[in-house]
Amino acid sequence: MIRCSRISKSFGGLKAVNLTWPAVEFEPGKVTAVIGPNGAGKTTLFHLMGGTLRPDSGTITYRGKRLDGLKPWDISRMGVGRLFQDVRVFERMTALENLLAAFPAQPGENPFYAVFRASHVRTIDNLNRDTAAGLLERVGLRGFENALAGELSYGQQKLLAIARLMAADADALLLDEPTAGVNPAMIGVLQSIIRDLGSAGRTVVVIEHNMDVVLAVADWVLFMDEGDIVLMSTPEDVLSDPGVRAAYLGM
Amino acid sequence: MNYVWHLLVLAILYALLGSSLNLLCGYTGLVSLCHAAFYGLGAYCSAILMTKAGLGFFPAALVCVVLTGLASLAVAVPTLRLRGDYFILATLGFQIIVFSTLQNWVSLTNGPYGITGIPIPSIMGFSFDSPLLYLLLTVIVCAPCAAATRMLVQSQFGRALRCVREDEIAAASLGKDVPRLKICAFVIAAALAAVCGVMFAGYSRYIDPTSFSVAESIFILSVVIIGGAGNLAGPVVGAAFMVLFPEVIGFIGLPDAVAANLRQVIYGVALVWLMRFRPQGIVGDYGFD
Repeated sequence: MIRCSRISKSFGGLKAVNLTWPAVEFEPGKVTAVIGPNGAGKTTLFHLMGGTLRPDSGTITYRGKRLDGLKPWDISRMGVGRLFQDVRVFERMTALENLLAAFPAQPGENPFYAVFRASHVRTIDNLNRDTAAGLLERVGLRGFENALAGELSYGQQKLLAIARLMAADADALLLDEPTAGVNPAMIGVLQSIIRDLGSAGRTVVVIEHNMDVVLAVADWVLFMDEGDIVLMSTPEDVLSDPGVRAAYLGM
Repeated sequence: MNYVWHLLVLAILYALLGSSLNLLCGYTGLVSLCHAAFYGLGAYCSAILMTKAGLGFFPAALVCVVLTGLASLAVAVPTLRLRGDYFILATLGFQIIVFSTLQNWVSLTNGPYGITGIPIPSIMGFSFDSPLLYLLLTVIVCAPCAAATRMLVQSQFGRALRCVREDEIAAASLGKDVPRLKICAFVIAAALAAVCGVMFAGYSRYIDPTSFSVAESIFILSVVIIGGAGNLAGPVVGAAFMVLFPEVIGFIGLPDAVAANLRQVIYGVALVWLMRFRPQGIVGDYGFD
């Protein structure tokens, strides 16, 4: 469970995130969608939880341990994974390498092991290779193993980034607009992947603008505006709220 | 024949210098302009230890590599916080500091006069005193270094370095300790450059600061860029081209004054032409952005 307590972050006096709630909790086994207009602070909230930004005040905990103040790689090693809005695949590496790089606890990343325990390191890599091939197939990228990630289409890069996150085996996933730019057929695949991650007991948080996707995957919805959470409820309740309909959905 | 062995020794040293710099600029995406400084630290350190402290070649080499590694760590920790162009400027600054020190700390380095009388490397009474024997020694010392470099770049470590090169934020979000990886790459590259410095000092038996100037750093960077960055064969091809090609011009029989200048012109044209039409170098697969 990720728990955010009264966190705030300002950029040049402008409050990007200012959660006034004593505790916002993201529970394991549930998919929580974060919705809200552009500039509401959704992505900044992810930056704070992922460690790329530090909150000015407040605390963030994961399984009871403080996350705020930790470096992004420490947070990742605790089991919190991120999908970036701008995908951020490793462009001049192949799709397979993108996945292989993501596996947790790779001893060969220590140069000493890489040279003096080379065969051990290679064995681990070969095991990971099979898992990686399976994940590529899962997201519909079979046959693209040796394609450079930068040469894939935007939608394919998004799928690759999701497969990469699955390779990282994160227990909590922060997904920033996973379906934006993905074709309708693959959106269905993504929805089932997101649902499966949730029902496998992982903590899934999704920023999403596509309300069909929100209705399909989310157990719980947070509506954010001007840096704070305005409403927390079930997808049906939030989407039928007159305030949300007027301010965000334009109805 | 001795002349051929001489060229091969130089080509091997530049191939290893290029390969070590390639760890930084090809794999980690960090362009450094102070590689000649570490090369020079290795050379001077071994020359001083052998001539003044009377150490043997191999013990001196070991001490040099460790000391240069420590020096590079001291440079890496503050400078690797800098991004892109600022990092390049910081390495340039370090290069100039080292060059000025070699030039001006006369009591230790003998300043611009350089250090003469560096003993011929020997092991258990066997002296590597001909170009062919020195070539053998160069291969014995450099081959394991090259093998280790190859293992590093092909391992998970090398892959993590490439992740850092491609996208630091994404790499960090996948559990890669970005500063630590950069520091490791920087220190390993410097230690390998020191090995080359030791080999150079033992070979030429006379060193002066001009061999380790900014121009030399740029020359080593050219080896990587012309051969191809981010690729194991690149620096080897680059070193062969940069070291052997001028000799070909020598055979044409131009007057020395013309030949020396022509070399510079050809290097310049080669660099400009490659940047325009083949930014990934002769055999490389990664172009500088």
